[in-house]
Amino acid sequence: MTAARHKHEAQIDRVAWAKSLILFGMGIYLALLMLTGNLDNYINLRFAWLVVVGALLFVLLGLVNLYSCLHPQAKEHSHRHYQISWDIILVVAFPLLLAILIPSRALGIEAVNGGVSLSPVGISSVTRSPLDRNILDWLREFDRAATPAQFNGSPVDVIGFVYREPLHPEDGFMIARFTLSCCVADAFPIGMPVIAAGAREYTAGEWLRVQGQLKAKAFGADFLPVVMAEAVERVDEPRQPYLYP
Amino acid sequence: MQLAGQQSNRAIGSSDRLKLIGLSLLAALMLAAIAYQAASSGRDAMLVTSVFATRFLGIFVEAVPFLLLGSITSGLIETFVKSDDIMRILPRNRLGAALGGAFLGLVFPVCECGVVPVARRLFSKGTPVSLGVAFLLAAPFMNPIVFASTYIAFGFGPVFIGRIIVTILVAVIVGVVLGSFAKPAAALKPIALGGGHDEHAHCEHEAPSTRAKLLDALGIAADEFFEMGRFLIFGSILAALMQTLVPQESLLALGTGPIFSVVFMQILAYVLSVCSTVDSFLALAFVNSFTTGAIVSFLSFGPMVDIKSTLMFTGVFRRRIVLYLILLPFVMNLLAGSLINLILGYT
Repeated sequence: MTAARHKHEAQIDRVAWAKSLILFGMGIYLALLMLTGNLDNYINLRFAWLVVVGALLFVLLGLVNLYSCLHPQAKEHSHRHYQISWDIILVVAFPLLLAILIPSRALGIEAVNGGVSLSPVGISSVTRSPLDRNILDWLREFDRAATPAQFNGSPVDVIGFVYREPLHPEDGFMIARFTLSCCVADAFPIGMPVIAAGAREYTAGEWLRVQGQLKAKAFGADFLPVVMAEAVERVDEPRQPYLYP
Repeated sequence: MQLAGQQSNRAIGSSDRLKLIGLSLLAALMLAAIAYQAASSGRDAMLVTSVFATRFLGIFVEAVPFLLLGSITSGLIETFVKSDDIMRILPRNRLGAALGGAFLGLVFPVCECGVVPVARRLFSKGTPVSLGVAFLLAAPFMNPIVFASTYIAFGFGPVFIGRIIVTILVAVIVGVVLGSFAKPAAALKPIALGGGHDEHAHCEHEAPSTRAKLLDALGIAADEFFEMGRFLIFGSILAALMQTLVPQESLLALGTGPIFSVVFMQILAYVLSVCSTVDSFLALAFVNSFTTGAIVSFLSFGPMVDIKSTLMFTGVFRRRIVLYLILLPFVMNLLAGSLINLILGYT
């Protein structure tokens, strides 16, 4: 009986160490997300403070857990309700495993599921001058406008990735971005149509900076302001890959 | 918590290996799904995996601070709060008690994992059934941490307001209904009627220092994080897989029916059993393809009843009452969600 009991206690002890390891691991992971800037890939940076809170709380819980590992007698008075078993440890370690094994990437073209929207997300009354507008700003302007033709001749300078559909004309594509309100769970692809000489050279998913002028015309099945590109240049994925509504 | 915890501990002890096999099977299935989807759509399996990882970690990273706050609160309540004083000032008539119960969560900020033991303690102090039931159903949402996470996910709009109104309405009505036809002795198991052993009395007897209590609270919080974290992780895996693998058209087909979408989301909420502090972030995965009523019902029904709380209910209530505690909220939330879609026109 005592042998079985010792074995049982050793088992609990190892679980307790594994718990400390995971708690510290989570804290370090959240801290690293902040430090490396990879946090941009996952959540709206407006809520970055939450991740700081999370990292601190993880370290706190990790320290307390470590303390009770080192002072097992302190546990005798405690009222533990759960006995955490290895399968739970394994499940809770899953996010850490994923974070270690798979390089952090922002959502890109391969995450587009069901097309890129031509309508804006959220509402905002902020008005920027035309050359400062990003894709989301432009779609909001279009949404407010009485007629697509009212933007004819406006200069445009936007960054996004190339998105294609079979309906798009031979010399056209869409320049797209994901919007993010809270975290990638609500990521939503939006885009503007572009007509460019040599449009076929650009592969889907490639990041481009497109400069040109707007002109209302038919594109696919829609009639809307289209970017008539004057200069197209390949660029790196921006540090903040998403637009925040 | 302790009741269900003890029961499941025994189960874990005897079937640990079986669970590990089950987990590996699940992981293999996930990989197979990703590989199949990649092959059938001509996408690179590594890229699909990477999209899945980003979506999963995004939900997890945004949600996990709230889960920690919830766990720590639960640990603090467990070690520090005495329910007797609050009980004394609550109304005794049925409607008043149900209303009081619905708002009691603001004083006891617990999520659904912590609510059953607190409710059980209340019952053992002689609380009316209506108050206890309304508290049980509303408390997981009616607390500052869940308000904050819902607000961060959805802002101040129809989902946030709908969640508050529907939760309170359903909790109060079910509380009054159960309270009016079930006497405590008929509704509760004997163990919840004051027979259960009282840990806090035990605590006071030994009079541990505040520091020891605090350490104990944080220890409980860590355990609570692991216990509840797995539901968050399973839920996030499912949501991320769905977003990555299921084509948008299929989701829209499920999500646009004004009544069916609500039924679907409520069943999903029941199965996922995700903690109320973080369910808003999972719901976000559905906003683009599901009706607003379905989202509101997911958020108000999920914290009331799910797989894990059903298990806990069976430790407190008699079987017939457990059945009512599942069916009444299901039907009423379904009604509320459908009305939001059909009458208010949020679709």
